[in-house]
Amino acid sequence: MAEPARGGPLQGVRVVELTKVWAGPYTGKLLAFLGAEVIKIESLESLDVTRIYGVSDMNNAPGFQAVNPQKLSVQIDMKKPEGVELILKLLRESDILVENLRPGAVKRLGLDYQAARKARPDIVYVSMGMYGNEGPLSYQTGYAPCFAALGGLSLMVGYEGQPPSGMNVRYADSTYGTAAAYAALVALLHRRRTGAGQFVDVSAVECMSSMVGDALMAYALSGTAPHCDGNRHPAMAPHGAYPCRDGDWISIAVASEEAWRALTALLGRPELAYDPRFHTLEARLRHLDALDPLLAGWTAHQAAAQLAADLQRHGVAAAKSQNSMDLVADPQFWSQGLFRDVQSGAGESKVIVGPSWNMSRPAAIAAAAPRLGEHNAYVLGEILGLPEKEQRKLAEAGITR
Amino acid sequence: MTPRFLIVDGFEGQFGVNYLGHFLLTGLLLPLLNRTTALRVVGLYSCRLAAASVNALAGSIETRKPAFSILANPVHPGASPAGIRRPTRSTTVSALSGFKVLELCEDVAGEYCGKLLSDFGALLIKVERPGSGSPTRRMEPFAPRGTEGERSGLFAYLNTNKRSVTLDLGSADGTAALARLLKHVDVVIDDHSPGWLAGLGSDLDPASLDKQRPGLVLCAITPYGQSPPEELRHAEDLNVFHSGGWGYHTPSGASGDAPPLKGPGRFLPSYEAGLESALCIVAALYDREASGLGRFIDIARQQVLASRIDYVLGQMVAGDMEVSASRTALDLRGPAGIFPCRDGYVYIWMSTPGHWDGLRQLLGDPAWMKAFPERWLELDCTPERVALCRRHVAEWLKPQDKEPVAAAAQKRGLIAAAVNDARDVSASPQYAFRGFFAEVDHPVLGKLRYPTVPYKLSLTPACIATPAPLLGQHSGEVLAAVRAEDGRHG
Repeated sequence: MAEPARGGPLQGVRVVELTKVWAGPYTGKLLAFLGAEVIKIESLESLDVTRIYGVSDMNNAPGFQAVNPQKLSVQIDMKKPEGVELILKLLRESDILVENLRPGAVKRLGLDYQAARKARPDIVYVSMGMYGNEGPLSYQTGYAPCFAALGGLSLMVGYEGQPPSGMNVRYADSTYGTAAAYAALVALLHRRRTGAGQFVDVSAVECMSSMVGDALMAYALSGTAPHCDGNRHPAMAPHGAYPCRDGDWISIAVASEEAWRALTALLGRPELAYDPRFHTLEARLRHLDALDPLLAGWTAHQAAAQLAADLQRHGVAAAKSQNSMDLVADPQFWSQGLFRDVQSGAGESKVIVGPSWNMSRPAAIAAAAPRLGEHNAYVLGEILGLPEKEQRKLAEAGITR
Repeated sequence: MTPRFLIVDGFEGQFGVNYLGHFLLTGLLLPLLNRTTALRVVGLYSCRLAAASVNALAGSIETRKPAFSILANPVHPGASPAGIRRPTRSTTVSALSGFKVLELCEDVAGEYCGKLLSDFGALLIKVERPGSGSPTRRMEPFAPRGTEGERSGLFAYLNTNKRSVTLDLGSADGTAALARLLKHVDVVIDDHSPGWLAGLGSDLDPASLDKQRPGLVLCAITPYGQSPPEELRHAEDLNVFHSGGWGYHTPSGASGDAPPLKGPGRFLPSYEAGLESALCIVAALYDREASGLGRFIDIARQQVLASRIDYVLGQMVAGDMEVSASRTALDLRGPAGIFPCRDGYVYIWMSTPGHWDGLRQLLGDPAWMKAFPERWLELDCTPERVALCRRHVAEWLKPQDKEPVAAAAQKRGLIAAAVNDARDVSASPQYAFRGFFAEVDHPVLGKLRYPTVPYKLSLTPACIATPAPLLGQHSGEVLAAVRAEDGRHG
């Protein structure tokens, strides 16, 4: 059955996904959240690992559910020529294709850009590879932490004077997926104005470099590459995470003399604002070794959330360093719709991480991630117009299921 | 009449000489042209050439190298001794050319969002306060010389392809000029505190936007959205990094008393929010092409960061994964991590029997590995085994060089990657192949290699046509153009 009209800026746009794991599916998720009809092509023969890794029920796999809400699933065996034929037929009725399969895979399958544009000359074809689609290293593959390491980001995270530690291991895929979604929409807008589709080639490693673009500028200017420096900031002090009661931490960032004076007042040590070690930003940066322990001594016995609220009242930028319990309970996330209820095809309700944004006339978001092949009848029958007899034949031949 | 003959490519000769020759020459020069910025191709044609042919030529060049000026002057050189008259057709084309964006931003998030649009050819007018200009003009890194306010590498990076107009928005003249500008733009971006826009008057009040300016796309970027509670009024990127869930869990494998870290550099949360904003703006413009309707877009940096953990946070909020106060709640188990080597660091990933087997081949089947069950990474990943494995991997990597050892590992199915710094990234042959760095000539900073964008669009690639503007560099021309336009319309 066709989806009910959901509205949103991308209403009427159809996206086909040949994606796996996190980054490619995240691109599709953002487009679905903006109102596009996103069809994930899957097959039992080559399942997205997040449907099966460490789970017993592929139709209820937590990781898959988290990244694929509001999408449709059609089950087509793309390793059979008839399956590829069906996919090309679907591309004829589609606007965007997103793929993040292994390097060379779409070509082997007969679903590369050349094949896709034969089916749909103005298709926007989004290819996602660790290093991009072409070039001397484009054959290499890796996971998210490799993107961050290669792109120059990991080396900049770590304690001063120690080996770099890198960002949390989960970082990279979703950022990369967002860059791909942005580039896809730029191309789609160009198509709406000129009629021309195009090939969009996204590099995960370069996405990571973009998140430290100013560090690359610093290198261009000085010839010196920035390395990890703990919690230092060249224009703020104090700047860092300080211990609180019960193993909690609070982040405090002081960007002005006014905020520094407010902090010393709250600390009950207003004279510190006039201490020659701390009376200017430059002085505080020089004496971080004294400043940070002094502050930590004060924060250590306080409750992080209460202290953050006190600091805020005095005009100091502070926030509790939220653990996963805090995140799930964050009232902003619930009131702003970041967390929201959706329904599965079977009518069960489920909470998902929705879009980060709020906008006027948003797309309705109501559906949980699909079961494998949940929308076969809609895709094959309504979009492709195949009579039921033919659909049955395809199913019996194992092309669809 | 020239006699008919065919050139080697099979085209008619006169057509080949008078028409295709220009295209071929331009094509042959493109590799050279690509290395310059703000380039301009001037084609001289006989005025007998139909305008349509000129347009076709311009179009065929545009597909190769958009976002630069193409001037096609149908002037017969013989008939016009001066050679070049005023251009009769001028086009600058990339995917977003023709869209006009007004940037009211004074921070990294909004300026980065603006850059993402202007690098695709949108005409971006940046409003700056007279005298000091944007605060990012006074942020690191700096060129060794140059006027204060004009030597920031950060500002130069964030403001390519923009035009700077100084307006004092606290004065009547300034707000009047802003109101005039607003009539001519498609998009407005702001990154001030909530309430700042409404303070400018009803024109940009998000609450009345649909009535006042139904065709405008207005995007506001803030730390916590448009109506944060009292205790979330003040925030720097560090704070949203921590309230958005990444801080507490960085680095992975955190233990003991070492504090959570700020992430890489200074501005990751701002870049993330700028990217999310650009995504929503372009989606809104897509809809507006058909509906004529604009949108208000509310971007909260904290929510952008939290949404980036969806794979894990989604499982937690759905009740499928345990939540806790643990610093390692987002981590994966296993021996993956960064290891020192002779010339830097290598990242090693191991999660499957295939990876384990790759390691065995690389190490020459050492005795210690025989004591591990074959599928221990999946099924028996104990802390003791992880520690032992890490110790041996560290010993093995110590005397190696990052590039060769990563390449050798890739060949054997073990996932390894060099941990690059800015110097390594700048020297990457892959980045060179994709043209990730572009040389930009700035009047104060001089020629530098700027990082560009991580996506290549085959027809309409992003392109840096002009360096970041000097403060107020375009005030005169932009305001004059607005006055002229207003004059024409009444």
